[in-house]
Amino acid sequence: MADSIIEVSGLTKVYDTGVVRVEALRGVDMAVERGEMVAIMGPSGCGKTTLLNCLSGIDEPTEGHVIVEGTDINTLDDDTKTAYRAQRMGFIFQFYNLLPVLSAVENVELPLLVSGTSPGESRERALASLERVGLTEWNEHRPAQLSGGQRQRVTIARALVNDPAIVWADEPTGDLDSQTADEVMSLMQELNEQQGHTFLIVSHDAGIAARCDRTIYMRDGVIEREQVGAGG
Amino acid sequence: MDSLFGIPLTSILVGLVAMLAVAFGSLGWVAWRSPLLVRMGLRNVRRRKSQTSLIVIGLMLSTLIISAAFATGDTVGYSITNTIYASFEEVDFIIGRDSGGISGPAGASPIADDLLSDEFLADLQAEFADDPEIDAISGVVLKTLPAVNEQRRLSEPNAQFVGIDPVTAADFNGLNDPDGNPLPADALTGNRVYITVRLSDDIEAEAGDMIAVFFDNQRVELEVIEIVRDTSLTDAGSNGLTGGIAINIESAREIVDIPEGVAFIAVSSLGGIRGTLDLSDGIQDRLEAFIDLHPEAEADVVLTKKQIVAIGELIGSIFVTFFLVFGLFSIAAGIMLIFLIFIMLAAERRAEMGMARAVGMKRMHLTQSFLAEGMAYNIGSAAIGALLGLAVAGALIAVMGRIFDDFGLSITFHFNWQGFAIAYSLGVVLTFITVVFSAWRAANLNIVRAIRDLPEPQPLVGADRTAGRLALAAASVLLTMTWIVVLIVFWIVVGVILLTVGLQTRGAGLIALAALAAWIIYGMREAAEPSLAPAGRGQSIAHFIRRRVLTAAGLIAVIRLVSRSVRNPLLRGRDRAIDLRDGGGRVASMIAFAPLLVFAGGGRISWAFWGLLRSRDWAARHRNSGGWAVLMIVLGMLLVYMSGWQSADALGPVGGWMQQKMFAYAGGTTLAVLAVAMLAVYFGAGSRLAFTIAGLALVWYWLLPLPFSLFADVTESRGLDPIHGVFRVLGLPVPQELNGNIEMFFVSGICITAAATLVIIFNAEVVLRVLNLFGRAFGGIAPAVRTAIAYPLAAKTRTGLTLAMFGLVVFSLVVMATLNFNFTQLFLSDDATAGFDVVVDANPSNRIPDLRTALTEGGYDVYANIGGVGTMVTAYPQMKAGDDDFHRFRVQGLDDSFLRLAKFPLQFRANGYDSDEAVLQALRDDPTVAIVDAGRLHIEDGFGGGPPGEGRFELPVSANDLREGPWDPIPVTMRTDDGEITVQVIGVLEPQVTGVLLQLFALFTGREVVDSTLGGGETETYLISAGDDDSKSGSVRLAHDIESTLLERGVQAKSIIEQIDVQASQSRAFQLLFESFMGLGLIVGIAALGVIAFRTVVERRQQIGVLRAIGYSRRLVQLSFFMESSFIAITGVGMGLVLGLALSYNLLTSPEFTDGAEIQFEVPWIRVGVIAAVAYGASALMTLIPARSASKIVPAEALRYE
Repeated sequence: MADSIIEVSGLTKVYDTGVVRVEALRGVDMAVERGEMVAIMGPSGCGKTTLLNCLSGIDEPTEGHVIVEGTDINTLDDDTKTAYRAQRMGFIFQFYNLLPVLSAVENVELPLLVSGTSPGESRERALASLERVGLTEWNEHRPAQLSGGQRQRVTIARALVNDPAIVWADEPTGDLDSQTADEVMSLMQELNEQQGHTFLIVSHDAGIAARCDRTIYMRDGVIEREQVGAGG
Repeated sequence: MDSLFGIPLTSILVGLVAMLAVAFGSLGWVAWRSPLLVRMGLRNVRRRKSQTSLIVIGLMLSTLIISAAFATGDTVGYSITNTIYASFEEVDFIIGRDSGGISGPAGASPIADDLLSDEFLADLQAEFADDPEIDAISGVVLKTLPAVNEQRRLSEPNAQFVGIDPVTAADFNGLNDPDGNPLPADALTGNRVYITVRLSDDIEAEAGDMIAVFFDNQRVELEVIEIVRDTSLTDAGSNGLTGGIAINIESAREIVDIPEGVAFIAVSSLGGIRGTLDLSDGIQDRLEAFIDLHPEAEADVVLTKKQIVAIGELIGSIFVTFFLVFGLFSIAAGIMLIFLIFIMLAAERRAEMGMARAVGMKRMHLTQSFLAEGMAYNIGSAAIGALLGLAVAGALIAVMGRIFDDFGLSITFHFNWQGFAIAYSLGVVLTFITVVFSAWRAANLNIVRAIRDLPEPQPLVGADRTAGRLALAAASVLLTMTWIVVLIVFWIVVGVILLTVGLQTRGAGLIALAALAAWIIYGMREAAEPSLAPAGRGQSIAHFIRRRVLTAAGLIAVIRLVSRSVRNPLLRGRDRAIDLRDGGGRVASMIAFAPLLVFAGGGRISWAFWGLLRSRDWAARHRNSGGWAVLMIVLGMLLVYMSGWQSADALGPVGGWMQQKMFAYAGGTTLAVLAVAMLAVYFGAGSRLAFTIAGLALVWYWLLPLPFSLFADVTESRGLDPIHGVFRVLGLPVPQELNGNIEMFFVSGICITAAATLVIIFNAEVVLRVLNLFGRAFGGIAPAVRTAIAYPLAAKTRTGLTLAMFGLVVFSLVVMATLNFNFTQLFLSDDATAGFDVVVDANPSNRIPDLRTALTEGGYDVYANIGGVGTMVTAYPQMKAGDDDFHRFRVQGLDDSFLRLAKFPLQFRANGYDSDEAVLQALRDDPTVAIVDAGRLHIEDGFGGGPPGEGRFELPVSANDLREGPWDPIPVTMRTDDGEITVQVIGVLEPQVTGVLLQLFALFTGREVVDSTLGGGETETYLISAGDDDSKSGSVRLAHDIESTLLERGVQAKSIIEQIDVQASQSRAFQLLFESFMGLGLIVGIAALGVIAFRTVVERRQQIGVLRAIGYSRRLVQLSFFMESSFIAITGVGMGLVLGLALSYNLLTSPEFTDGAEIQFEVPWIRVGVIAAVAYGASALMTLIPARSASKIVPAEALRYE
């Protein structure tokens, strides 16, 4: 595991509301290599999204270690972790989660502005990122004026604008029709191959898993099995 | 307090209770028919506690303000009347010499020889000896004398020296010790006197002490045998301001050299101190009838307890009106907040309401559920608000108590249950109306868009925006309005027929005819508008009968009202306009019938409008904004048209209250301009362009001098007014003159902030672009700045409402503060000193022909301390100008020294006088010329003006008349002992000269006029320029030295600068009080920001998760939310500041508003700064909590949140 970008050991996550106690992750150990495209699959409630949240640092695990690019992200304070996310990670969500009041290009440049890039350079890189996903002509449109596929492309452009080491995708095609889902998946695959970004994709869709380098199957908060190679 | 705005409180209460019944009835009906909907609404109340708290705060503020206004006014009225009762005690009437418009203590004439004869007193006592309603009549001798406690070296220069008849005065029970125990009148023998509590305090004299009074420079020693209360008998009604000495009338006659005659006669009616007012009118009539039979006595009933109590109550009512009018801004902001809250609640529940609609709930069900929720907030909030209003009133009263204390008025908290009930009912009713409207709006959703959270289409653009569609809407509006007019005419005709053919029995015939009328109208309406009938309507027999019965009931109510109104002119044959407002009973009955009318007739009319303004296919969601625009234009034109009526004609009751009213004209124009913009958008114009142009045009219309020139002459300045042009083309009447009053403050505030809000909201994106250009300057917070501005701009309605709220309240505060500051500066400026440092009033009983000599004789070093002395000799002749009657007024004869030293800036000069100096020189040289104070000019009823003067001396010209051009000297005729003389008024003083020195409210001539033709006058007033030390402390010392040197002459000396400071301090205290009250509106604006901020955190939870995921730190999220609220608050505050200052500038530089005074406009930067800082600071504090909670959201949870 010399070139592992992510190393996880003994990861647990317990949701305790005081009334109900749910063990969402019950000791996960795994590793992801740099430039790898990994799918995480499993039935609803098996802990896929929780795992992704804990790995990306947007949620705190109850126990265990998550080493990303050599750093245990749980030892970082919130500001450092946030800055790390802004500079080294990209996020793609099922429901796009674009800011409705900003145009496509403004949405895309937001992570750059947050990480201190100058407004001029941010705009330049955001437009380039939109060009990569084929949305140059739509850059001034707001999310409500775009189709579902276009919105997800904007999300991908936003995820990639920082040239991140890792892209986290939570059901990226879950809200799209099959043809658009296929286009989006092809785009991600292409970016993975050409740019070498590491992709961790949570999905129900076996078709997506089929297009990843490796598939991790989860059940009841633990990794049930792994399958390497296209088609999982 | 019995009435407000001239309407009896009982009538207002009856109307409000009726509306309250409608509100509670609606809730009860919903609870009865659909309890589930009520449960849904009530459970929503408990969903978000912090938000519910803010909603309750917002809702209760309107009630709080109304309740506080009533309680404050009640307290003031009650306290004044209390003081009046305490002062009058058993005296109910005071008869004195007819002094023709001026009066001294106890309403008696200030002229020494103006006495009532002993014969008249005896005749009066004999005449009313057996009157069962009068229990005492007593004559009183009165002089104002200096009283000195020589042991303590303390004096009161103006003690009321009251000679009372022990025999008759005993019947008044008017001599009581401070504890209320009666003191015998017959104990007053020789020089044994009672002194009042006030005088006892002032000169520290007790029972058993010897005091001295001075008359005609002779010392008289008196023995104080007891201390008595200050009443109209013991201190001649000075309300305890100066104190008095009660002495046997015979001793008094001897001391003050009045061998016969009395200054006034006190009359007491049966029934003690209170409870005598009912007898007042009858007794007054009898007294006046007696006086009419004795014209030689020249007597008059100069004061009655009833009149004074009524004045006290009127002052209370004025306070209520003032507080209510000033509170209107906050109430308006409160209503906007309620509307905003329900818009946001609807936005929050959009998806669940869409689901509810999808599973079968009707729009009416959603409206009812919202109504239940709104009323749940409303009922409790209004009660809390009304109670808190009493607490706020308590705080206001505590401050007012200190101010009023200076005027000798003791404030006691008091509230009237009617005012409290009105505040509660009004609060509930206002909220109910707003909730119904916003609930209807919220329920009006598209199911698919709601469930999928898709944006609604642009509401102003009609889905079917064709000229044909608009023409249909216009035709429908006109048809409906015509229908309403036909209906009104029909009802009136029916009423007249009923009376003339003898069916006014209100019996079976009336009901039958009304039912017939209902049937006809029903048929007419359907025949006229068949296309408007919705499918299925009228198919049910029950429905059909219900409609007709209700219509018939409504008609009966209307006919009864109409018949009451038209009966008088018909039966008495008098050409009298129908006046439904004639008498509280009619108003009450109209209000009582109103719900029935609304239900039966109003429902029908509103249904018709609904049909016009919306397409028939409700579900298709085709809004016809063109219909709304047409309706607004029609209403706007109607308002303008009604403002043009010159007199209360046949339709007087409907539009008479609007005739020649500025608010109707300008408000109508504003409505029409906005409607034109809506029409433009309807036909495809960009909303930004249309509303920017309309908004700017309206800001221009309200801010530039145009509207204010209306006051002078409408016809000359209407060239640029489009409405005026249209009316002229159509040959409709246009107003020749418009009047505005205090209501214009509110109307202009609403219109101007609405227009400016439109301009800002539709152009704020420019700000975003500018910020993008300068993004680098913001460094790391640039992303927060971007989202902080983008979000408010995306939610135009809520941002606009909040901006308008903030803008409106800040606008009102800034206008109030600026006007107060500038007027205070004007009236309490250096001009108010008239160029002098100390004013000395000589005691009329101890006149001082030459002050310098008197002071020198008293051992005072005049040359070292006094720079100059100007003398005014005061007389009170009867005078008149033009065709007016003779009235007594003050003439001040000015000596050369006065004219040389005085700074008398003139507002107007007659032809032939090129400078102020020329006028003053003429006054010195020519005994036939005079000048007057600005208060002598005729006052036109209008903005900034009061009622025209009656019963007082005034010139036949107004400030506007003199301003228009050169004017010739105005002759004034004065009665003298030898006949009449005429002087020519050649100048008018600037109003600020009389800001402090009340002696300068006068007609001024050279001194020789008073000396030679007015018998040398009644007294002297000296105005002194200090020597080297003209500082405030120097002038205070000088005044004190003069007063103590001339202690035994009873002079009263005051530092003018100190007087100005005292008045300025009182004025500032009042201003602060009103501004604090108006500042309550800020709480509304701040609560609105809080509601928005809390709401946005909930709404944007997921987006916050995304922001945190892509790299927004907690601080940046917090900053973004904080700046978002700040953006709205700063914009609102800025808008209010700019508009407020602009309007203030226009008003203060408008001669019509300042009554001719030239004001050097100054911005009170400190006050304005405090207003802005408090407004922003408080809103910033309010938004810190939600901003912090936003920053604490865990991204993973937020992203999972649905």
